Amino acid sequence: MKSRISAYVVTLWIVLTLNFLLPRLLPGDPLSALLDPESSDYVFDAQVRAALEAYYGLDQPLLAQYGAYLKGIVTGDLGRSIQLNQPVGELIAAHLPWTLLLTGTALTLASLLGLLVGSQAAWKRGSTTDRLLTAASVVAGNAPVYFMGTMLLILLGAELGWLPLAGGRTPFASYSSPLAAAADVLAHLVMPALTLTLSLLGIQFLLVRNNMVGVLGEDFMLVARAKGLRQARLKWNHALRNALLPFVAHLAAHASLAITGAVFIETLFQYPGMGRLIFEAVGARDYPVIQGVFLAVALIVLTANLLADWLNTRLDPRLAEEVGR
Amino acid sequence: MSALARLGQRARVRPVRWISALGLETLLGGGAVLLFVLVALAAPLLAPYDPHAFSGQPLERPSAAHPLGTNDAGQDILSELIYGTRISLAVGLGAALGTVALGLLVGAVAGYAGGPVDTLLMRLVDVMLTLPRLPLLILLAAFLGSGLTQTIAIISLLFWPVTARVIRAQVQSQRQRGYVRMARNFGAGPGYVLRRHILPAVAPLIAFGLVAAAGRAVAMEAGLAFLGLGDPTAKSWGLMMRFALNLPGLLLTDRWLWWLVPPGLCITALILALTYLGMGLEVRLQPRLRRR
Repeated sequence: MKSRISAYVVTLWIVLTLNFLLPRLLPGDPLSALLDPESSDYVFDAQVRAALEAYYGLDQPLLAQYGAYLKGIVTGDLGRSIQLNQPVGELIAAHLPWTLLLTGTALTLASLLGLLVGSQAAWKRGSTTDRLLTAASVVAGNAPVYFMGTMLLILLGAELGWLPLAGGRTPFASYSSPLAAAADVLAHLVMPALTLTLSLLGIQFLLVRNNMVGVLGEDFMLVARAKGLRQARLKWNHALRNALLPFVAHLAAHASLAITGAVFIETLFQYPGMGRLIFEAVGARDYPVIQGVFLAVALIVLTANLLADWLNTRLDPRLAEEVGR
Repeated sequence: MSALARLGQRARVRPVRWISALGLETLLGGGAVLLFVLVALAAPLLAPYDPHAFSGQPLERPSAAHPLGTNDAGQDILSELIYGTRISLAVGLGAALGTVALGLLVGAVAGYAGGPVDTLLMRLVDVMLTLPRLPLLILLAAFLGSGLTQTIAIISLLFWPVTARVIRAQVQSQRQRGYVRMARNFGAGPGYVLRRHILPAVAPLIAFGLVAAAGRAVAMEAGLAFLGLGDPTAKSWGLMMRFALNLPGLLLTDRWLWWLVPPGLCITALILALTYLGMGLEVRLQPRLRRR
């Protein structure tokens, strides 16, 4: 575990440095363009320009800039948004809960359904249901998530009118009770979360199914069957428990996929999360926001990886020995 | 059974055996990919108009002159769709070659050199695989600017570690084989051994890597264009969807049916075709999987 943690520290340092160096070293010098009156990206607001100059410190030597940048991150100072003239830290704090709600809901639903349906399909492998589910999962897992979202949007939102078309809640709404507010948030969550769940479910179903089929062929399953154990016990206690390990090992990768999907889904549904934030920042060339969101997302993904690693070593002692060497 | 009857039986069995040898997935996926390639090559013959020409009134409904209607600028949607195949395939091919070239280089060096070089390169691969891809992609696209070359370069830069890891494992196992050791004992240099002995063993993996990388690249290109980070002058399928969704009230009319859905279906079909081709090839390459 110790070596894994040091690997994460190195990765974190690379993320931080990449985030610092990219805008400064790339051709075209996008940051100087913001302060250059000749350029089309010139920031006209003198106050914002002063804040930008102070934040990036482009007149100082690179090493001093790097020091100031690292110090800013430790103290939570991520600069100010050019477009919105708000601290980037505040913007992220306002948008992060929405993304966590969306990805958390989808990841939980897809994991539960994936385990349940995937193991059931593996148990009845070769059956028509198994074949259909497998084919559907290949499509759901590989089709672009924004196209699936578009289709749901057309069907459930525009044609049937069951669900709101966009946003995280009804604009300018005043709620009579917290319950009504929760119901509104939930109604807006259904379509984005459904889209993301379907996409993740496609991938997780295939993973669980194929692992489970592998486990079912193992010798210990034959022994368990020969002992005359009940079907349910064979399926859940013997087969699924062993098929669970690769599933947990892939959870971090799936969390990363969920965030990727969320960027597209939030753009499509105008959902007020981090994906929407970075999308709007890109359109406005709002570099401090783009960098801040990248950093925040990278941190989340790294933490998810570390957690999954830890969980994995707890579940599978063989891994702990291997890693501990 | 007479020799003649046996011969006849073999002749009858042959086409079936050919399908089962390649696999249904490979054939279907490969056939669909081939179809897209043909459409891309024959785009000027197939498309009724120049996709950039203002060939009709804005937002025309489907008609004989414009089978899928026109967009908000009065350009023929079917022609845009047909020419869009070229962009998806160009980025897919370019990025696949870039990804596999980088992955092959790093994987072969790491697997062949071993020791600290291997450790260092594989640590780099681990780091690259942990990084959140899409945010990094957006960061790079935002700073590098948008153009097809940049898109290809960015995708190649982000996806090579997947290939590198697979290639490295294969090179490492080949290096231990008797015949490779013998060649080296006879004084063969690394260049010779890699070219003559290791490359042939790695070749099937390269083929699979190319298909897998092309699938990821097609998906990424469409996604970037959809997010507005692609080449704004290249009329790709992702950009078509973006423009369609940008039209206020698009979903309130039935316009989405011929403007939004066709490019979405094309992206999905091409990605699925490449996925199935890849799955088919993977099963051929790893016979162990065939039992599942």
